[in-house]
Amino acid sequence: MNRPPETRNPKSHPRLTLISTPSGVLNSLAPLVGLLVLFGGWELYVRLGDVSLLTLPAPSRVIVHVVSDPGFYLSNGWVTLSEAMLGFALALATALMVGTAMAHSRFMERATMPVIVLIQSTPVAVLAPVFLLWFGFSPTPKILVAALFAFIPFVTNTLTGLRSVDRDTLEVMRSVDASRAEVLWHLRLPHALPGLFSAGRICVSLALVGAVIGELYGGSTEGLGYQARIAQSRSLVDQLWGSVLSLALMGIVLTLVVMAVERRVLRWHPSQTTI
Amino acid sequence: MLASMRRTTPPMVLATNLAKTFVDRGRRTEALAGLNLEIGTGEFVSIIGPSGCGKSTLLRLVGGLIEADHGKITVAGSTPLDGRRVKRFGLVPQSPALLPWRTVRENLNLLPRLNRGQGRGRVEPAEIEELLEAVGLSAFAESFPAQLSGGMQQRVSLARAFALRPPILLMDEPFAALDEITRSDMRFQLLALCEDTAATVLFVTHSIEEAVLLSDRVLMLTSRPGTVFDEFTIELERPRRQGIEDLAAFHRHTALLRNALNKAARASSSTGAL
Repeated sequence: MNRPPETRNPKSHPRLTLISTPSGVLNSLAPLVGLLVLFGGWELYVRLGDVSLLTLPAPSRVIVHVVSDPGFYLSNGWVTLSEAMLGFALALATALMVGTAMAHSRFMERATMPVIVLIQSTPVAVLAPVFLLWFGFSPTPKILVAALFAFIPFVTNTLTGLRSVDRDTLEVMRSVDASRAEVLWHLRLPHALPGLFSAGRICVSLALVGAVIGELYGGSTEGLGYQARIAQSRSLVDQLWGSVLSLALMGIVLTLVVMAVERRVLRWHPSQTTI
Repeated sequence: MLASMRRTTPPMVLATNLAKTFVDRGRRTEALAGLNLEIGTGEFVSIIGPSGCGKSTLLRLVGGLIEADHGKITVAGSTPLDGRRVKRFGLVPQSPALLPWRTVRENLNLLPRLNRGQGRGRVEPAEIEELLEAVGLSAFAESFPAQLSGGMQQRVSLARAFALRPPILLMDEPFAALDEITRSDMRFQLLALCEDTAATVLFVTHSIEEAVLLSDRVLMLTSRPGTVFDEFTIELERPRRQGIEDLAAFHRHTALLRNALNKAARASSSTGAL
């Protein structure tokens, strides 16, 4: 029955975690470690393994290449970025309208749900050639593919967020005869915001994927996806990997932007408090 | 005596022969059957009864949040729906039901800003500050609900209901989820707010002490289907202050009510057996 005396040092107070937490410095460096291992291993593998350039260029070589021609990557990146962002915005706007209609009418929900399931179950990438056929050489097919990729997470999160409001709060608002529009604006939409932001974090990357897929199918003369396709057909290894790297960077930056906006807008949300 | 004097004024709430049955997937639940109710202007009436006796249903009927199957309700001379339209009700549900994205002050501003076509749209900023002071939350005006304790959140909810200066307050076990000390504080804060505003209050509770402490009159309902089993006038002087729970008169009232509540429960179980 004799238990060792517990130490009551507040600094070493055991935290309720299921995994071990390393000390401060190591902890803050942790995210870098994974990347360092990946790129370091890649670099070493290419240099020591005598890998042919066509198979895999070293990351240092790709970075030097991109930095040596920033104008090319900036202008093509801008094209892909604008397609992805327009698709993202289109998906968000449509999802908000469709989700609001569904949240307010069971009939609308029942009528729309099969269509949503259909879109969800279809590998929408296959629609890229269809859109290309319809709209030809223009950004439109890419924007549409990007929008289709981002639409499903947005619409499902809009619907759940608008629907799952607190019953008591709803009754308080109804007790002063708040209109449907007031309930939507003051209660349902803000309540849907956290879900919309988690969807948004996923959807920026998805929209980027959609835009690139649209470009890969053709009907373009610019954009990083287009340049990657050209590089592949002409064996321009540096340009291929440069496009990949630029797209990866773009995806990271976009996700970080969404998270930064989220931190500002959702100041009130428990997920953002540091306590 | 005070309560009987108040009842000579025209009733604020008058309900006759109320009946309400809920139907959920073919299952019928008779919540209220043939209930009569009269509440005078400025009167504080508590509704107490076994759980599931339709207390909340009655509150929602009076507030026009649901409609009765039978019977008639008049609130200040009009229907509950009209009462809602002209923002005559202050509702305090069991949970604080605050908007988490609005600060405490913005939460108090919410109800005046809704449904603004109806006169009661204007509330002076000074009034909001007074309310914050009254519930002891001036220092937390800029805090978000998630940063407050449960008791503080419920105080915001209470203040929000008073922000419109509604003639009728509808409270559905607002203190049930709080700890004993916070609950006691809140009861006296509510008494003070009621004294300031002379509001009519319909208060649902399952605490006998709470009913005695707050009310002019206590209505005891039988369990489902609910109807008024008995009613009691609470002859304790106002203003009521901390320490009143120790008076012999207070204990007399609680004993009387507890006894009646047991009878009410038995009465309904015997009808249930029929």
